[in-house]
Amino acid sequence: MKTLQLDKIVKQYGDKLAVNELSLEVEEGEIYGLLGANGAGKTTTMRMVLGLIYPDEGRISYYGKPHSKELEKIFGYLPEERGLYPKVKVCDQLLYLAQLRGMSRKDADASLKKWLERFQVPENYSKKIEELSKGNQQKIGFIASILHNPKIVIMDEAFSGLDPVNVELMKETVKELRDQGTSILFSTHRMEHVEELCRNITVLQKGQAVIQGNIRELKSKFPREKVMLRTSGDVAGLDSIAGVSGVERIPDGYSIRIADESAAPHILETAMKQTAIQHFEVKEPTLNEIFIKVVGGESNE
Amino acid sequence: MNSLKTVIGFTLRTKLLTKSFIITTAILVVLISIGVNLPYIISLFSKDEPVKKIGVLSGSYTTISESLSQAFNGQENKDLQIIVDPNATEGQLKTQLENGEINGYIKLEAAEGASPEAFPSTVYYANKDLGFTEQSAITSVLSVLKTKWIAKDALSDEQLAQLEQPVRFDTVNLKDSEEGPVSEADDMRKMVSTFVVLALIILFFMTNMMTGNMIAAEVTQEKSSRIMEILITSVSPLAQMFGKIIGMFILGLIQIIVFLLAAFVNLMLPHNAAAFKDINFDISMIDPNVVLLGIVFFILGYFLYATLFAAVGSIVSRTEDLGQAIMPITMLSLAAFYIASFSVSAPDSMLVKISSFFPFFSPTTMLLRIGAGNYAAWEVIVSVLILIVSILACGWLSAKIYRTGVLMYGKRPSWKEIRKAMKAYKI
Repeated sequence: MKTLQLDKIVKQYGDKLAVNELSLEVEEGEIYGLLGANGAGKTTTMRMVLGLIYPDEGRISYYGKPHSKELEKIFGYLPEERGLYPKVKVCDQLLYLAQLRGMSRKDADASLKKWLERFQVPENYSKKIEELSKGNQQKIGFIASILHNPKIVIMDEAFSGLDPVNVELMKETVKELRDQGTSILFSTHRMEHVEELCRNITVLQKGQAVIQGNIRELKSKFPREKVMLRTSGDVAGLDSIAGVSGVERIPDGYSIRIADESAAPHILETAMKQTAIQHFEVKEPTLNEIFIKVVGGESNE
Repeated sequence: MNSLKTVIGFTLRTKLLTKSFIITTAILVVLISIGVNLPYIISLFSKDEPVKKIGVLSGSYTTISESLSQAFNGQENKDLQIIVDPNATEGQLKTQLENGEINGYIKLEAAEGASPEAFPSTVYYANKDLGFTEQSAITSVLSVLKTKWIAKDALSDEQLAQLEQPVRFDTVNLKDSEEGPVSEADDMRKMVSTFVVLALIILFFMTNMMTGNMIAAEVTQEKSSRIMEILITSVSPLAQMFGKIIGMFILGLIQIIVFLLAAFVNLMLPHNAAAFKDINFDISMIDPNVVLLGIVFFILGYFLYATLFAAVGSIVSRTEDLGQAIMPITMLSLAAFYIASFSVSAPDSMLVKISSFFPFFSPTTMLLRIGAGNYAAWEVIVSVLILIVSILACGWLSAKIYRTGVLMYGKRPSWKEIRKAMKAYKI
């Protein structure tokens, strides 16, 4: 049974269509990536999943059943704007939130101390949120969303504003949660996180799902358009090969854009005749490239 | 129920220990202490004031000046001394004034155009005005002397005494005095009732404004920091709203108790206790009905207003806009306050009667009627019932608005959207 199932949900704000006929499924122990430019409808989708707002049409089911109050105990939510009381001590508010989700104060306290230790910020236990740096606030928000051992976690831009070390730390944590069977729906702008964590993704654009599916399959569906070539010496005449649309000189070699995959063998042939080859690769498109290609310039909105 | 307790606990814990709450309470406690001790403090200062010496330039009216000096110099703790020297000239008195031997002098002389037999005009010459109390003391003595002067010996002492008596005007309320004539204790009781009612009305208004603003600000803050999104997904809006309201109520109660304690401790200080005894106050004079019903109306009124404050707080997205948004509620509570406090002398007016059934005003106006003693039991019951129904209705509506409002950011939602959303969301 799918943990989470969205069936053609539609949400309209005034005359603006925020989400249009979106369907997706998240299984147990899966991290599902929700991508899209700002204003594409990611947060709206997440709010609908949480039951904060209701879809105008379509159905959302959890373990095959509609939304109910019991779900509140197994939800974890990290909003994009952290969602913490700025003037309240970390321990006070996190224990409060965990208690509201049905955890006992004692268990919550032990769990909180464990997580603070894990994130190397045990000294923040009795500090106010406003005294912490942005990255540390982020960590506290992250802990707040998983403190009560939720089964379904929804994270909006979980890794933004963190340094690389802490991003790794959180990624490890997220993977661990996944391996324990937690289903995670998370949104991000950063493609490399998605490639590393997610099996399935949906790319939203103006409320429409423009790309959807398994990352591997998606990548193979998009044509390979780039050839990396590293050679000992110069290679001439690359741009006159049929199917090559551009050649760029890079240190120790060339980055060649091709319109057609059949041009690749000819490039290799041409190069082999002229010099020794150290590296030759027909690159599979990165998600970033796919994203930019599909969503286009609007990703900078 | 459990989550309600959690919310109340959190509200209390986070508010009670904040610096701002402690400082505000401390400042008010200091102000109350000063207020209670003010009469004593003033008396301390006035004790040090030297006796004022006033000379009299008698002219041909030596009898008057003699009587005047007798009237004042015979008194015990006197603040005025009248010095009469029949031979003194105006020049001498002026020198005495300059040397600081006297504060001023009174000149008695025949009024212009009047015969010497008429009572003279009195003019006070000095560098500084005579104080109000001293002036009225002298005037009252002079007016007695004037009566005597005109009557000469035509009236007996008894008649003179009658003339001095002001006219008495007493009221006997036949409805109240069924058990007998009104005694002074009854009068006192009524005064105490009025005092208790006024105190409760002021307390109601202050608590309402303070906690109401805190509730609204808290909700807006939760909304703008998006913590509301987490809260709503973990606890029902109704529990959340009422948890906050009850928590703030307890907070307000704690504050009131601290204030009352401060006032009580100060009143019990030895120097104040004596003054307290003087006015003959007895705790049994407080009508328990007034206090009991007062507390009922206080609590009900508080909840009615608090739900509205929470609802308004949830509509606004930024704390800056809050002041404007709570304006209508502030107006309502101001109206409740002023209608009651301006009608203290006329608790039977139509305005008070009608507004004592209007839920937003009844906590103050019905209380006023109860304090005045002019009410029927059914009126109080109906008023309380109306209030309770209004609280339930407002609570339900506010929780709906709360649930809907907290998710509306940015542009103002249209009425249609609000209606649609309110229909959809469970609370």
